Amino acid sequence: MELWNHCENPYPFVPNEVLEQAESVRASLPNKYCDPKIAAQLYDEIFDEYRLCDDIGLHIVTNEHHSGINNLWAASPVITGVVANITRKVRILSLGTLITVRPDPVRIAEEYATIDVISKGRLEIGFVKSGATEMVSGDANPMRIRDREWEAIDLIEKTLTTQDGPFSWEGKFFTHPHVNIWPRPYQQPRPDFWAATSDLPTCAELGRRGIVNTLLFGGYDRTRQAFDAYKKARHEAGLPAPGEDRFSYMAFAYVGDTDEEGLRIGQKIAWFLTVSIKSAPQFSKFQPGAVAPQMAPAAWRTGASRRPRPTNLDAEVLVGQGQMFAGNPDTVAKQIKEFRKRVGGICHIIMMTRQGLVTHAEAEASFKRAAKYVLPQLQDLPPIDADETAWEARPGKAAVQ
Amino acid sequence: MQRSAAARLRVRPFDLEMVRVGGKRRDAPTLLLLHGINPISPTAPFLDLLAEHAHLAAPSHPGFGNSPDMGDCDTIYDLVHLYRGVLDALPAEKVTLVGFSFGGWIAAEVAAAGHPKLDKLILVAPFGIKLAGREERDFPHLFNTNPAELNRRAWHDPTRCPTGSYGIGWHVAIGDAMSDEDMVTLARNWDSLCLYAWRPHMYNPQLKHWLHRIAVPALALWGASDRIVTPEYGRAYAALIPGATFSVIEAAGHHPELEQPRAFVERVSRFIGGGDGRP
Repeated sequence: MELWNHCENPYPFVPNEVLEQAESVRASLPNKYCDPKIAAQLYDEIFDEYRLCDDIGLHIVTNEHHSGINNLWAASPVITGVVANITRKVRILSLGTLITVRPDPVRIAEEYATIDVISKGRLEIGFVKSGATEMVSGDANPMRIRDREWEAIDLIEKTLTTQDGPFSWEGKFFTHPHVNIWPRPYQQPRPDFWAATSDLPTCAELGRRGIVNTLLFGGYDRTRQAFDAYKKARHEAGLPAPGEDRFSYMAFAYVGDTDEEGLRIGQKIAWFLTVSIKSAPQFSKFQPGAVAPQMAPAAWRTGASRRPRPTNLDAEVLVGQGQMFAGNPDTVAKQIKEFRKRVGGICHIIMMTRQGLVTHAEAEASFKRAAKYVLPQLQDLPPIDADETAWEARPGKAAVQ
Repeated sequence: MQRSAAARLRVRPFDLEMVRVGGKRRDAPTLLLLHGINPISPTAPFLDLLAEHAHLAAPSHPGFGNSPDMGDCDTIYDLVHLYRGVLDALPAEKVTLVGFSFGGWIAAEVAAAGHPKLDKLILVAPFGIKLAGREERDFPHLFNTNPAELNRRAWHDPTRCPTGSYGIGWHVAIGDAMSDEDMVTLARNWDSLCLYAWRPHMYNPQLKHWLHRIAVPALALWGASDRIVTPEYGRAYAALIPGATFSVIEAAGHHPELEQPRAFVERVSRFIGGGDGRP
């Protein structure tokens, strides 16, 4: 298995009274509350963490969100380009540029090809559909973003792999009459593609395309369902069964010296769920497309958004639900191995550690323990029992908590 | 008075849901009503009042109410051609086009494009054009503004919104009294409006250059308390239409046909009867 470090570069320094009075902490919170000197310090710290990861063998994930306290990576290609330059060994996953917000997929492909060359072939390209406040910050129509996402992926793939261009593209959402990027990617025919989704039809399409499927905090059952949809789609299409390298999971993670320390510091990560997602109704449940019309009554009456959030944010509960890996190194290794078994096999664990109120020093300590004590325990694992990897989940077994 | 809430109107490629209310007099004029952010309720009081003076046809735009999804026909350009097709399909020789709010934008586009059956044009608090500077909004962003604020701006008296009809800011009415069926329809309408009008938001940057092409008598009706699309915007809008009359209805907001149905019908009937629509 591989371990990855994902940090969203949050900004947990806005006074609580401001956050409590604000309608939303994303999209509409004025940027006067973001001190650029503090932001510069955060960039320094996290780039140092990435250098450490490069030294100790943890791969790196970047992403982007906009206009909020949850994330200062405002442009994933910019940040990923920096990471490509300050690292030498580990792989770098951009998960990813918001392709439903950016107007020109060709520019995205061009930026990624450039990063792949700078990193000498260490780039992995991830796609996220995004939604909600990102649509507002990017003035992108929130309707039909799934169709837009697939057309963008198709155009990016053709742009990365066409070597005898220019070619022309006149699609539903994007037009570009003269596509011919320089440089072309370092990896041939192109860097591997990843996507973050738990939407089952989308997981099935990822399966048919062989794109790495990442689940974000989905827990055991939701993740298993998603991976099963992926495997089933490949089976039905007559494609070979996927390897575990096609599956990835992002969880909150803290590796402490002791179980007590792991849970105590892991608890600080909950800020991400308790504070950083506060969003006005027009940016969430009432945004067009946020829920399918037939689901609106349930969503609107309960105030639920499209993506259910954990209701109990105690670190031990999150661990129990498979949404957090926390404890001493042996405990964390055991949790990850158990997760791998219960979701039917997985290769990539993305650890969200520097999140919420976790400090730079705490994050680096966790990374060192993860690389030194956890990662070795995840190598050369025996194959999972065939019953565990079958997409036809056995009733009563996959659902056992 | 003949009423059909379940009529359908076939206009390729759509089969539109349509409310039809027969006028009291056989020789009454025909009004084609283009709805705003939600279809016109068949029980809206202004319909019966208006049917004293005209035959009414009120289709639901594609993707709204029980009209089918729009597929790839998801732009205002498509709606303009659709409603030119609706004018072709209606049996009347002459038709007065009445557009409300979002539907007012469509009506202005259709009238600027012209149609041989078009007799008169009535715009009720229409969106559709950009007048203010690049750093000023002519109206709030419907999707990025808190619905409670939209509701406050949409009505003369938000505490006395008419029941049974949903105007801008309808989200505040969500509660035990609202049926699941209404919620599903409202969600569908909201999604469809977004497809047509997210960006540029609720206007066509080119339309104001062509309003001078409108060649039929036109009336712009505005609620005096409309804080979604203000009367000042309405006056400037009307001034771009040759010979248009601008008329304000007191004690009404963005939906004067719902908040002041009698005053609304009185203005409309006066205008279609040959007057200028002023009180």
